[in-house]
Amino acid sequence: MSIPAWFLMVCFGIFLAVSTFILGQVVRAAKTYDFAAPKGKLLTGVLYSLTGAMSPFKKESAYLHLPAYTMGVLYHLGIFFSFFWLLLHFFKVATPPPVKYGSASALLVATLCGIIILIKRILNPQLRYFSCPDDYFSNILVTGFLALNAVSILYSPMIPVFFVYSGILFLYIPLGKLRHAIYFVTTRIYLGLFYGRRGVWPLRR
Amino acid sequence: MANAKKLTKEQKKALDILARRLNGRLRTHLNSCVRCGLCGDSCHYYLRYGDERFIPGNKVDQIARLYRRYHTIMGRLLPRWVGARDLNEDTIQEMIDVIFGGCSMCGRCSVHCSIGVDVPFLVRTARTMLVELGLVPKGLQSTVDAALTTGNNMGIPREELVDTLQWLDEDLKMEVEDNQASIPLDVRGKHILYTLNPREPKFFPMSISAMGKIYYVAKESWTISTHCYDVTNYAYYSGDDETARELTQRLFDEVKKLQAEVLVLAECGHGSRAIRWEGPHWINKPYPYPVVTVIELIADYIRTGRIKLDPSKNTKPVTLHDPCNLVRAGGVIEEQRFVLKKAVTDFIEMTPNRVNNYCCGGGGGQLSMGEFRDRRVETGQIKADQIRKTGAKIVATPCHNCIDQLIELNQVYKLNVEIKTLAEIVADALVLDKKK
Repeated sequence: MSIPAWFLMVCFGIFLAVSTFILGQVVRAAKTYDFAAPKGKLLTGVLYSLTGAMSPFKKESAYLHLPAYTMGVLYHLGIFFSFFWLLLHFFKVATPPPVKYGSASALLVATLCGIIILIKRILNPQLRYFSCPDDYFSNILVTGFLALNAVSILYSPMIPVFFVYSGILFLYIPLGKLRHAIYFVTTRIYLGLFYGRRGVWPLRR
Repeated sequence: MANAKKLTKEQKKALDILARRLNGRLRTHLNSCVRCGLCGDSCHYYLRYGDERFIPGNKVDQIARLYRRYHTIMGRLLPRWVGARDLNEDTIQEMIDVIFGGCSMCGRCSVHCSIGVDVPFLVRTARTMLVELGLVPKGLQSTVDAALTTGNNMGIPREELVDTLQWLDEDLKMEVEDNQASIPLDVRGKHILYTLNPREPKFFPMSISAMGKIYYVAKESWTISTHCYDVTNYAYYSGDDETARELTQRLFDEVKKLQAEVLVLAECGHGSRAIRWEGPHWINKPYPYPVVTVIELIADYIRTGRIKLDPSKNTKPVTLHDPCNLVRAGGVIEEQRFVLKKAVTDFIEMTPNRVNNYCCGGGGGQLSMGEFRDRRVETGQIKADQIRKTGAKIVATPCHNCIDQLIELNQVYKLNVEIKTLAEIVADALVLDKKK
């Protein structure tokens, strides 16, 4: 295994360890003292939180901001797709040229979305008001991850560079705002528990 | 603790509150906001002013930046990089303005948040820190103090309450033409202990009459305590958990003392939330009796035929304002609609409604904080516009906090509507089987 691949492995290992620690902190301290008699069902609340409540038709952050929402979705789909390609690179899985071209194109679209989201944060004074360097850096780091992957797919000598870059990304995720990736599911679970217990979610009509 | 040397004793205590409360839920929500800013359009403060301070993400950041500063590696090493801030005079003043004066804890933003951050939960935790610093706005603090020292948030002497209730008792007897009708006070062993919002005996006694009439027709076994009856708990809003616990414990003890089987909560959004949902957490035990809101009770009376309504007695168009704490944070969503549809001939929904309804602006303790009065009335413009669009002549709402705010909005924005509790509307529609 090459040095960049080893570097990636080590960084990923550190990421996994830190993420496990972080989630362990949440789980260890998850015991709540909610003695109120439930009005609804906790499990259905959580399931709804992770499914129906995420629907773009249910959230103003989506349906009032369709362009931003669409770009956000494409950006995140691109990130998941890029991690998938990282696996393919790592295990040296051969792919036919049409798949490569298609994948690179998809990643470039996601990259473009990342750039537009970054420009929005730079130009919008209200977003700038409560943004910090980490907000810009995290965006650039992830957008770079997408762009570099697109290049690596089409030009394999770049794969070692992509491995090193991905390793740095793994190290940074738990440090800045990117850690929302670790907390996202627990956030939805907690919100689902809250609304589920009180009979608010799932919405009935 | 980073920068601990510069902190005052009170500031250390405030940060200690944050440290002690860092359970899974708090830690999760403090780490989740991505500052996308898309929540702004779900907040009536931001919609009214377009001021970035009122974007819910910024409200979250008031406490999240302290968390980052004192509880994360990056916040300790590179605070500016991750937007971590020290707890100091500047951050505290900003917190008071945004956390107390710029949020009614309505929770609308959380429902619509792209991630699912529980903003009111974080805002209340930040308020708890401000309690430790002794920086709760005066009006809110004095309301909490009044409840603690006098037993009700308006400081009504017991004699005055008893006088009012006895007068209402006479009034009820005359109205239903039955000497057996009554508003029973401090009677042990009744099925229901009914609470009141102190605004009722003070300013809106007719809402008590209305409930008396409903209980009479339903042939309910019920009583009111003249010692401990306050459904409100403003310590929920101020963030003062110790006082919130004390007030909850008093009511808990009163139910026990009077040997009531069910605790029924008067029309009060935050009171219902505080007692029903937060109370057991504060006193650290479950209630051994059911706790229901009076809206659920009335709906049950209608469903089971214990009361009959004639909607033709209420022909003016009626709309409904959904109190945030009752609906979004309490799950009482369809009951009030069911009741109104049975009690009036012309019910019109506001748009948006139910969990998407806008706060009237009076929640979060805003009504008691004179410091932020102008802001409260100005943010209420969104609600005023909602009401005007319905064309209704009556606005019903099962919350006395909301009623006070809506009465003010009615005057300021010249809505020309009547504001009523649900009990009043139901009482008007009651079919009475009068005894001779």
